[in-house]
Order: sequence, then C-alpha cells, then structure tokens
Amino acid sequence: MPYWLEAVIDSFPYLLSGALITLEITALAILLGLLIGTFVGMARLSKKRWINAPATVYVEFIRGTPLLVQIFIIYFGLPSLGIYIDRFPAGVLALGINSGAYVAEIVRAGIQSVSKGQYEAARSLGLSHWQAMRYVVLPQAFRNILPALGNEFITLTKDSSLVSVIAIEELLRRGTIVISRTFQSFSVYSAVALLYFVMTFSLSRLTRWVEKRLAIP
Amino acid sequence: MGGKEAGDTMSVLLEVEDLWKSFGDLQVLKGVNMSLKPGEVLVVIGPSGGGKSTFLRCINHLEVPDRGRVVFDGIEVKEGKNINLIRSKIGMVFQQFNLFPHLTVLENLILAPVKVKGMDEVEAKDKAKKLLKRVGLLEKADAYPSQLSGGQQQRVAIARALMMDPKLMLFDEPTSALDPELVAEVLEVMKTLAMDGMTMIVVTHEMGFAKEVADRVCFMDGGVIVEEAPPEVFFTSPRNPRTREFLSKILGV
Ligand SMILES: Nc1ncnc2c1ncn2[C@@H]1O[C@H](COP(=O)(O)OP(=O)(O)O)[C@@H](O)[C@H]1O
Ligand SMILES: [Mg+2]
Repeated sequence: MPYWLEAVIDSFPYLLSGALITLEITALAILLGLLIGTFVGMARLSKKRWINAPATVYVEFIRGTPLLVQIFIIYFGLPSLGIYIDRFPAGVLALGINSGAYVAEIVRAGIQSVSKGQYEAARSLGLSHWQAMRYVVLPQAFRNILPALGNEFITLTKDSSLVSVIAIEELLRRGTIVISRTFQSFSVYSAVALLYFVMTFSLSRLTRWVEKRLAIP
Repeated sequence: MGGKEAGDTMSVLLEVEDLWKSFGDLQVLKGVNMSLKPGEVLVVIGPSGGGKSTFLRCINHLEVPDRGRVVFDGIEVKEGKNINLIRSKIGMVFQQFNLFPHLTVLENLILAPVKVKGMDEVEAKDKAKKLLKRVGLLEKADAYPSQLSGGQQQRVAIARALMMDPKLMLFDEPTSALDPELVAEVLEVMKTLAMDGMTMIVVTHEMGFAKEVADRVCFMDGGVIVEEAPPEVFFTSPRNPRTREFLSKILGV
C-alpha cells in the first residue's frame, strides 16, 4: 500500500472522531445561533428604539468583522478582562454569536414574509404578543426560511474549522496533527475535505427532508 | 331584535365616544360616536377609504385611537393587563379570512381557548366540533385551510371567533373576497348568528343582508358617521345627499 494511503487509513478513526467534535461544536453553535437569531430578529422589527437599536448594532458589527477576529476576542481577549472561558465553550460561543447575526437577518425576513393579518387575527382572539409570535407567526416564518437556514448551517459547519486556531481538536486540527507526523498533506487534507463534504451534504439533505415533512398542505 | 331598553345605561354593550385616528398626515377618523345595545346588529356601509376598517380595528384596539374612548361591557378598552381578555370577548372576522394555514381547522379553533382561557384540550375539541357542525363544516375538522373554498374558510373563521364566546362580533367585509356563488353560505351563517341574538357590527356592501338583518344602518364617509337610521328609513328616505349619492351608485338606480 502506498504510504499516502496508509497514512489516511491509519489515521482515519482519529480524523473521524475529530469530525464528531466538529459536529458537536456545530450543533451547539447552531442552537445558540438560532436562539440568539430568533430574539434578535424579532427585536430588529420592534418599533421601540431601545430594543431595535442594540439588535441592529449587534448584527452590523458581527457581519462587518472577521469571524477569526471574533474568536480571538473571546478566547484571547476576554481573559485580559478577567473572563476565562475554556477553548471548547469559547469556540461554541464565538461561532454561535457569529451565526446569530446571520440567523437574525433570516428570521427578520421570515417574520416579514408572514402576512400582518395572521398576527392581527391572533391578537383579535386574545393571544398576547408572545403567544401570537410563538404559535402563529414564527411557525410559519420558520417554514418559509428553512432553505435559508439550511444554507447558514452549512456555512457554519465549514466555518467551524476556524476554531482549530485555538487548538480545539476538531476535524481540521486533527488533520494538521496527522500531517505533522506523516507529512502526507495532500491525501490527509483531501480526507479532511471529504469528511466536511459528507457532513454538509447530509445537512443539506436533512433540511430538505424537514422542509418536506413540515410543508403545509 | 333591537333592545327596547333605551336610556338604560346597563343595557349598553358598546359605547364609542369621539374616536379620532390618523396615519401620518392622513386623518382617517374624525370623531366617531356610536353605541350598541346587546343583541343589536349594526351594518356599516360607505365608500372605500372612508375609515370603516380603521373604526372596527379601533374597537378592539388592534389600532390605538389618537383620541376618544371605547367602552365595552362597562370596561374601557385600552392597553393594559386585561386587553387580551377584552379582545377575546370581541370576535373579529376579516375580509381575507386569516385562518392559520399551518394548523388544521380544529387546531385553528382550539388555539385561543386553550392558550388564552386555559381551556382543557378535550373540552375545547368538543366545543369546536359543535361549532363546526353549526356552520356545516364538521367533516372538514382535520382539513387544512388551503384545502377549503373561500366560503368554507370564512365559515371556519366565524366558528373560530365564536369559540371564545364573544359578546360582540365585528365583521369587516366578510364576503368581499369571495366568489359570488360562495357569498350566500357565509351570509346565511351570519344571519343565523344574528337571529340567535349575537350583537354584531358588520361592514358590508350586501344591501340585502342589511335590509333583512340590520337593526340600524349607518353610512360612514370621510371619517365620520354621516347618517344612521333603521334600514326601512335608511334605504327609502335617506336625508343626507352624500348617503343618497352613495346608495344610488351601489344600488345602481
Ligand atoms: N396602517 C395604516 N397606515 C397608513 N394608512 C392606513 C393604514 N390603515 C388604513 N390606512 C388608510 O386609512 C384610510 C382609511 O382606511 P380604511 O379604514 O381601511 O377604510 P375602509 O375600510 O373604509 O376602506 C385609507 O386611505 C387607508 O389607506
Ligand atoms: Mg376596509
């Protein structure tokens, strides 16, 4: 067996468990991003300035600065303020906060895609603002934005490779470690790429499946 | 149908006093006054843009008036803790139906009773089925709104409002978005509702309905109630020239 292939096969279980860590980070960051994005997306549409202004600042700032810098701020910058966060939660936090800004814009568009009459009908029945959002507007908004959210999650999966710079042993980091031992850059990085592709492709299939399942007749 | 207890303040269900509302520079309501007794049916007609929808929406505070008061069942309608409870007692039926498309007919009906009143789900479903039977749509309980005709959707919307046991029903051109052959089935439901004693304000251009069901008809134009009278008087001898002009246009005489 050629060494380039042997290097990949031998290190495959190690890479695979790195992919699992990538999945774990991504899944947690998706949840955090969804949570932040849903509330910030709603806040962006609020008529009250003290609610929509901070939301706008957050979205603009995050979208206007590099994710890598955001990761550095959270992992290297916060300790100098006396806030220490372990690398794994720091990575999740940075990715989640970053994704939240993009999700917020998607959610905002989603809410706007639901006709105002839906909200008003809900309020006219006595539902509170939150109940109207929770039971009437958001369920429809999320159906409408599922494809866009799917794209965002795929981007996030790929962007999660950036947290390798703070030495979280996710897929890319493990690939680099294997290469430092075997010097087989091409084959190992290709294997890493293939594993990312398997994850993003499955994710895109999964969103399409959810889309179909939730489709309104 | 009309209450005969005129003068008795306890018998007033809805009192609207000097209602004003503007959108930016556009003054839409310019001092609307109205009072309604339990069981009364008021039909509101008037040209498009005259403020009819805004008037209805101010009654349940979907739109907050700039000035004036709405007193419903002895309580002033205004922003505050009990606004949701007040709203739940005022049913509203929209021109565009506004059924929730992601919920089945049955789910549309039980959402508010369960979430607002905390009604038990089984009990709510029982009640929903009774009301669906009443509007002739029991077999559609598990259908989604998109699977219904416009007329059926509007009947479901009426049943949905009735789930909250409203004391007042507001109808905003409930048949205007319907194909002509579907109008009758909706009007029929509304007529039955009126005969059962429901207090109603109906914005409509169905003059046959107004003549047959209304206790009073009023003409709204330019943000005020121009004229108000029982249908016999309103349609045969309107006093205001603007009313006359509008009637002749709409009745095609
Ligand atoms: N939310 C709103 N913002 C701005 N203008 C509005 C709004 N709602 C209604 N209007 C305007 O107010 C006027 C009266 O509207 P409306 O009450 O819907 O009249 P009607 O129901 O009699 O046709 C119209 O010119 C309409 O464009
Ligand atoms: Mg209108």
